[in-house]
Amino acid sequence: MHPSAIVRVAVEAGLDGVVICDHNAADNVAAAGRAARAAGCVAVPGMEVTTEEEVHLVALLPDEAAAGVLHARVAAALPGRNAPAAFGEQVIANEDGEVLGFNASLLAGATSWTVGRAADEIHRAGGLVVAAHVDRERFGLVGQLGFVPTDLALDAIEVSAATAYDAGRRRYADPLGLPAITGSDAHGPGAIGRALTYLHLDHAETAEVHRAIRAEGGRAVLGGGRPMEDLALHVLDIARNSAEAGATRIEIRVEEDATADVLRITVTDNGRGMDAEAAGRATDPFFTTRRTRVVGLGLPLLRQAAEAAGGGLSVTSQPGTGTRVEAFFGLSHVDRAPLGDVETTVLVLLASHPDVDLDWTHRRGAHEYSLATADLRAALDGASLASPAGLALLRSAVRHGEQSLAETAGRRSRTETQP
Amino acid sequence: MTVTELARLVDGSIVGPADAGPREVRGGYASDLLSDVMAHAQDGDVWVTMQRHVNTVAVAQLKNLAAIVIVNGRQPEADMAARAAEHGVPVVTTPLPAFDAAGRLYAAGLRGRGAS
Repeated sequence: MHPSAIVRVAVEAGLDGVVICDHNAADNVAAAGRAARAAGCVAVPGMEVTTEEEVHLVALLPDEAAAGVLHARVAAALPGRNAPAAFGEQVIANEDGEVLGFNASLLAGATSWTVGRAADEIHRAGGLVVAAHVDRERFGLVGQLGFVPTDLALDAIEVSAATAYDAGRRRYADPLGLPAITGSDAHGPGAIGRALTYLHLDHAETAEVHRAIRAEGGRAVLGGGRPMEDLALHVLDIARNSAEAGATRIEIRVEEDATADVLRITVTDNGRGMDAEAAGRATDPFFTTRRTRVVGLGLPLLRQAAEAAGGGLSVTSQPGTGTRVEAFFGLSHVDRAPLGDVETTVLVLLASHPDVDLDWTHRRGAHEYSLATADLRAALDGASLASPAGLALLRSAVRHGEQSLAETAGRRSRTETQP
Repeated sequence: MTVTELARLVDGSIVGPADAGPREVRGGYASDLLSDVMAHAQDGDVWVTMQRHVNTVAVAQLKNLAAIVIVNGRQPEADMAARAAEHGVPVVTTPLPAFDAAGRLYAAGLRGRGAS
């Protein structure tokens, strides 16, 4: 993909930034950086290094100079020359799409570095080490080695777009105490934005991305998922719209009723509301006051997702009073989209709008948990919900609640299998 | 040896293509890492592996390998079989594990790059 094309598609998809990780090379990151700066977004310099064991490690580098250093060291450790007939031409392009040359190394091959050595080399170049797509069997750390070496200095775990972000995070990242990121791993422009990571930054810049992964200075990894699929990210989009419409109080209820086979999601706010005509048009895909596409699809596509799962969506609104969006789905319907990571919903909403009062309830059958930011603020002694202490409190409240729902579901299913 | 003889030696079956039988095998290489095969296998080698996905065929074409032997009774994935047929790369399946399959071929006189 040409650097400028990547940036253009990323901006159209509503992304604030991308990480450029070519296989075993970084000779296109400078051009991507220039294209990104011209377009007002961030292209973090990176590389996907293939170790001797055929494990992929993604390096997130601090700047283009570091990328150049790592590129040279990888080139020296990469045996073989490219065969364009088999692997295509390995183009080096500038931001105007002009071909400057070709990389002659066998980028599809493996370096002579073991996993440990590769991690050291990346750190020595000032980069962060991410175990790439660990949920995938091939080229993933766990798939290739069968285990995670205990002395391997990782900075983050990547969950691929093929796995639900929360499931991947719980399984691979939480046990290691590492942040989980996700992304498209796009090898073509159409895939850009199919999965993304939410970061809490002061401003969009490579150094800030590094700080977020290191959890430094209040920056943080908030969550992630697949904006075209995960209902949690549709809910986030609607709730953020509410906040932008001036809502000071938002109530979100997620209710799973296995007996009635219904999933119901309700978002109620006290924002400026809409008149009847606007409310009717809010679910019309050709009516939008928004300029960007991704990060949840807004109401029209949520309605489409609901109807595809045998459900529907209604919007009721009163100008000056507020709006209520109610979506219901066949819980077990084969086309029902996954719920996704609700922790991302809560954290990103409050990191972006820390003064909003959120009442959150997640119900599964006879069990539910709630959280109310009004109560949480009391425990924070004046600190913002977007501060490290605030985010930690929110995270732990949601995790604790989700775990309690998972445990009760587990108990119920064990009871059901007894004679 | 020919691909037909090779298949017989490992109690195996030729999956395809139809004209694979008489093709000559000049040596052998055993590995499950594609990057390793790309770096070390030689023209005319039979490749003994448990991998059964489509990328193996691309590697076999790249290195002009004589055949791919898939071990442990594993069957090629549909797209691997299709690509192998399309590009005329012989694929043999064997119930034997890799060690035994390679051992049988070595005992019959086939050598790898380590041979002096």
